Parts: sequence; structure tokens; C-alpha cells
Amino acid sequence: MKKTIGSIFKHIVLLVLAVIWLVPIIWLVVTSFSGYKGINTAHFFPTSWSMDNFVQLLTRPDSVVQYVSWFKNTLIIAIFTCLISTVFVVMVSYAMSCMRFNGRKQIMSASLILNMFPGPLLMIAIYFILKMLGLTNSHFGMIIVYSAGSGLGFLIMKGFMDTIPMSLKEAARLEGASEAKIFLKVILPLCKPIVVYQVISSFLIPWGDFVFAKLMLNSGVSKDWTVAIGLYNMLEKSLVNKYFSVFCAGGIVVAIPISILFVIMQKYYVEGVTGGSVKG
Amino acid sequence: MKKISGFFKAIGRYFKNFGVAFAKGDIWVKLSAVIMGAGYFARKQIINGIIMLLVEAAFIVMCIGYAAPNLAKFGTLGTVKFEQVFDPLTMQTTTNNYDNSFQILLNSVVALFIMLVFVLFYIHNIKTVYKLQQMKENGEHINTFKEDMKALFNEKFHITLLTLPTIGVVIMNILPILILIAVAFTNYDQQHLPPNSLFTWVGFKNFASLFSNSMTVTFGYSFRKVLGWTLVWAVMATVTTFIGGILLAKAINSKTTKMPKMWRTLFIISIAVPQFVTLLLVRNFFADSGIVNTICSNIGITDMLKHAGLVGEHLTYIPFLTDPHWAKVMIILINIWVGVPYQMLIATGVLMNIPTDQIESAKIDGATNFQVFWKITMPYILFIQGPALITDFVKNINNFNVIYLLTQDVFVTQNQALANSHAKEVDLLVTWLFRLTNEYYDYKMASVIGIIVFIICAAFTLISFSRMISGDKEEEYQ
Repeated sequence: MKKTIGSIFKHIVLLVLAVIWLVPIIWLVVTSFSGYKGINTAHFFPTSWSMDNFVQLLTRPDSVVQYVSWFKNTLIIAIFTCLISTVFVVMVSYAMSCMRFNGRKQIMSASLILNMFPGPLLMIAIYFILKMLGLTNSHFGMIIVYSAGSGLGFLIMKGFMDTIPMSLKEAARLEGASEAKIFLKVILPLCKPIVVYQVISSFLIPWGDFVFAKLMLNSGVSKDWTVAIGLYNMLEKSLVNKYFSVFCAGGIVVAIPISILFVIMQKYYVEGVTGGSVKG
Repeated sequence: MKKISGFFKAIGRYFKNFGVAFAKGDIWVKLSAVIMGAGYFARKQIINGIIMLLVEAAFIVMCIGYAAPNLAKFGTLGTVKFEQVFDPLTMQTTTNNYDNSFQILLNSVVALFIMLVFVLFYIHNIKTVYKLQQMKENGEHINTFKEDMKALFNEKFHITLLTLPTIGVVIMNILPILILIAVAFTNYDQQHLPPNSLFTWVGFKNFASLFSNSMTVTFGYSFRKVLGWTLVWAVMATVTTFIGGILLAKAINSKTTKMPKMWRTLFIISIAVPQFVTLLLVRNFFADSGIVNTICSNIGITDMLKHAGLVGEHLTYIPFLTDPHWAKVMIILINIWVGVPYQMLIATGVLMNIPTDQIESAKIDGATNFQVFWKITMPYILFIQGPALITDFVKNINNFNVIYLLTQDVFVTQNQALANSHAKEVDLLVTWLFRLTNEYYDYKMASVIGIIVFIICAAFTLISFSRMISGDKEEEYQ
């Protein structure tokens, strides 16, 4: 009896929390279908409904809205960023977790320290370096910005690899497998969940970042922007009353590929590595 | 203490080995000091030798063409001011061959860095060549080029793995850090903006002004205020989302919860929308004339809070993001909203991997759920998540997005002393320094603040990590 009451109570708490977490999202969705372009401050639900925001977003590019181009740009940047940084992080984590070499601990401490330097400040210096290399206002430059330093973010994956039993590697070594083979065939498959986590998080970076993008893609040609700068620009004081619902629609469209990815990734994520090998 | 002396001993050993190698080496080793690669040719490692020669040639070209002209001006950061002369006859403007202080600084730092790397490479080369000599004398097998390559996928696999990430880190982290450390010692600000004017070295003046106060310069006061809030924010943001995430994951994954997948999806939906969209949305949601304020005043909450003294008498709205105290509380609450689903996902992954046999045996021994959670689950989570927690803390110290997107253009400070140094009550050190650079071009002070942030974060991390890294805990769960 006590258990059922506890269980009901838990479900009620979860329900309340879920509502809190969903209200802003629901507001985003309903506003994107609003017939009024500015911010509706009087009512939660719009007074008139229309699909026009989406139509405008996808088919009527103007000087402010270039959504299809932005989307394409961001997608390309995100795919390459995701590939490069996942590879970098996996490589560094394996070296730090599974190999023993001179200077390993020093490198780990050094990279921890390097990670401490505030990004927004570094941005300015990075901007000048990329300018020297002629990479500002190019998507290649953006890919470098997002992925080049990613090797420093190895801590979480290293922590995960540390939980893989040593005996597995030793068994493979005894059978004469090279280090590269152990890495690719033994350790990597076991790291699937955490690799998936890395893939998600690095893919999301270009979609979420706007400060770096704003600094690097500063030519003022809105066609070259990423989704983030484009959407941020719509909320400029002079534009917000004409584009707020369009902004909401843009936010939803950008959420679609990310959610699809999430559904696929989530399966891997929660599966964990409990099955197989000699875990535990 | 022991560590520090060990560190210097290691450096001493490093140079001693180099001296020994050079002194005891044969003619080929000594020749390698001038012509890199000579030692390899002598031991029939032709390809290695050619690579070394090419590296040396490239370095010399770099020195003459790039390093020398820039380093010559490094001491003054340039002396020729930008000038334009308009010639009325030809109707053309001619610009003189001016010095760009920042270019000089940047190029010099890059050049110095390349030189340092080359010196290390050079020393390594001599040592390797000497080792080859010894190996030959002892009649040991000297690797062919092919065998060297093969070793890169076996016992030297870490070199293969780490090379590319290291180059990336050098470009994206190390060089920018060096440049900014240099800028902190210059007077690079709005009055000294290249290319129109020059800037130069000023020593520790900028650091002094960060800790001093006067009527017009209030950096000292602002710094204390901003630092205080930054630390409060970082602790609150990290702890609340971490605990929230674990509790939520526990609640969703427990056996008595119906439809765990549905609950998880509901919370994950908020991650699907990019953070900057939700943050900008929430900012409009809680605006002074926004929807929440309309609802609150309609159902009487605004008046209620007024009676409780939480909202100023003269206001007709709740200043969610415009009053310093309200804004701070709201920022932390909104951050919980943003961060908990992520932490829930991570905690879920970690919880799935808890060795179940320990829990089962504990239960057989009669441990309660509560005991299992605190004695087995939590230590395990802390072991796995410990590094992530510390990175989260540091990330929160530098959490630019949440603060900037929620308060930029919305929050205006009433505090004159803060306003004088372009700071606000809700600013973190990073948003403050971003404003200093982006709006006021005060690069020198921004660099100083950046260095301070760096020292705080680095000190904190080193203290907490030295235990984790140096301890033998690494192998505990392996």
C-alpha cells in the first residue's frame, strides 16, 4: 500500500516536471503557427493561426531570411566537425587510457590546464590567426574553429575507457594483436555508447554556437551565415516585431534533424555496454 | 615540493643527456649538429635522413623570410605610424609602409613558438643519432624505414594517435593563449587600435589597475563583484544540474516507474531545440512586458509579490531579468531547465553500467536501497563523473551562452561604479571581458581578466585533479 502511494506520488512529480520542461517548447511551437509576426504578449496561444511563417522561411528568402542556405551551411560544417572531433577525441582517449608512455601524465595535466582558458577571450586571437591564414568568412575556417582543439575534450571518454577491464587488452596482446588492432577491434566497439555521446555533442556544436560564427562569418552576406547567426539576427530590436514568429518557425525546423538524430542515438546511448565481453 | 624538484631534475637530465650525446658521439653525430640527417645517412636510414634535411631547410627559410623581419620589431612593436597622403594632382591616396603592432606581435609569437619546437626537435635528433651509433657499435639491429613505420602502429601507436590532435590544439589553444598573455602587457585598447595607431609594452600596469580603485577607474570594485557572482554561479549551476540529473535519471529508470521511455523522451525534447533558441525564447517569455508577466498580473501574483516586498512598489511587472536579484535567481533556475536533461542522459548511461553484482551482494547482506545508493551507486558515479564534474564547474565559470543570451540588451545596470568599467551585476568574468573587447575594444584589460580567470580555473583543476591523476584510482575499476 505504502509502495503504491509512493509510486503515484513519484509519477505526479514527474508529470509536473515534464510540464515545466515542455511549456516553453509548446510556446515555441504554437507561436510558430501564429498569424501575427511579432511577439504576442497578451495570450499564450496565438489569436490567429497560419502556416505562413514556415512558407516564408523555406520559400521566400529576403535580405533577412536565407534559411535554406543557412541550413545547408550549418549541416556541412556540423558533419565535418562531428567527424573530425569524434576521431580526435577517440584517438586521444585511447592513448591516455589504454597506453602507457613517457610523459602521459604530464600531457594530461597540461591539456587540463589548456582547457581552462576562457573561450570567448581566445576567440579574438583565433580570429586573427585565421585571418592570417585567409580562413575567415569560409566554412572550412569554421570547421577548423569547431574541431581543431577538440582533442582536449577527452576526459569523459577516457573516464569511460578506464572502466573497460585491462584483461581484455592483455588477452588481445597475448594473441599477437597490434596496438592499432586492439584499438579498432577490441576497445572501440565497447565504447559505442560514449562514442555516440561524443557524436551527438560535437554535431550539436555548430547548431548551437553563434558567438564564434558571428565573429568569423562577418562579411555581412547573409547567405553565408549559419542558422544560429541568422536566427539571432532576427531578434535585433528593429526586426523582432516583424520576424518573431518566423524565428520560432526557424527554431522548430532546426530542431527536426537534431531530434531525429537523437532518437537514433538514444537507443545506443541507453543500451550501455552491459552485455558482451568480460564486463564487471 | 618533491614534484617541483623532480621536475627540474628531469629538465637537467634532459640537457645532460644531450651534452653527453654530443660529446661522446662520433663524427657523424657531430656533423648532425650542422647538417641534420647526417647521422641517419651513416646508418643507412636514407629516408629518415632526407626528412631531417628537409625539415632543417624549411626552418632556415622560415627564419630568414618570416621570423627575422618580425622579431626585429618585437621589442618596440613597431615605430612607423600609419599615414595617408592625398595627392591632389593624381587624385590618389598613398599609404606609407606602416607598422601594424598586432601583426608584429602575432607573427613574432608564432615565430618564437616554431623556434622553440625546432630546438626541441634538434636536441631529440642529436640524441637519436647518438643512440643509433651506440646500437651499431653493439651490433644491434637498426630499424629500416618500414619497421619504423610499423612501430607507429604498435608500441609507438600513441604518436600516431596524438599528432593531429596536438597540431589542432597548438593552433586553436596554445598560440592564442600566448598571444593574449602578451597582449596583457601592452596598452592595446581603443586609443591604440592598429592599423591606425601603434601600441607598445607597458609592463604590469594593467594588472595594477585591475586591483586599484579611483573615482573614474573602478576595475578593482567591479572585479571583486563580478568574481563573487561568477563563483556563486559556477557552484550553483554545477551542483543543481548534477544532482537534478541523477535524481531524474534514478526516478525514470527505477523499476516501479511506468513507461520510462516516454518520460525520458519528454525531457529530451527540450534538448532537441538548440540552446540559443530556447534561451532567446525564454528571455522573451520572461520579458518585462512578456507573456509570463501578463499571466502573473492577471491572476494576481504580481500584486502578491508586491505585498511580500519582493517586487518594487513602483513596478507594474515582475522584473524577472531586469532586477539584479531576480535576474540572478532566474538565471540559475533557467540553467537548471537547460542543463538537467543533459545530465539526466549522462547519468542514465552511467547508471546502466554499475556493476550489478556488487549491488546484489549488498542486498543479500541486507543493505537498504538508501544504503546501496550512498555506498555503491554514488561512489561509482563520482568516480566516473568526477572529471566531468570538474570540467562542468570550469565550463560554468566560462558559461558564456546562458548569461549572454539571457541578459544582453535586456539587463541594464543601475550601479554607476560597475557601469564605469563596463560591467554588470549579472556578468560573469567571461561576459565582462567579451563586452570589453567586442564593444569597447579594451583588449588589454580583457586579456588581464582572461589570465585571472585562467589562473582560478587552473588552480582549482590542478588541486582536484592531482588526486585523481596521481592516485592509483585509474585502475580501480579496470
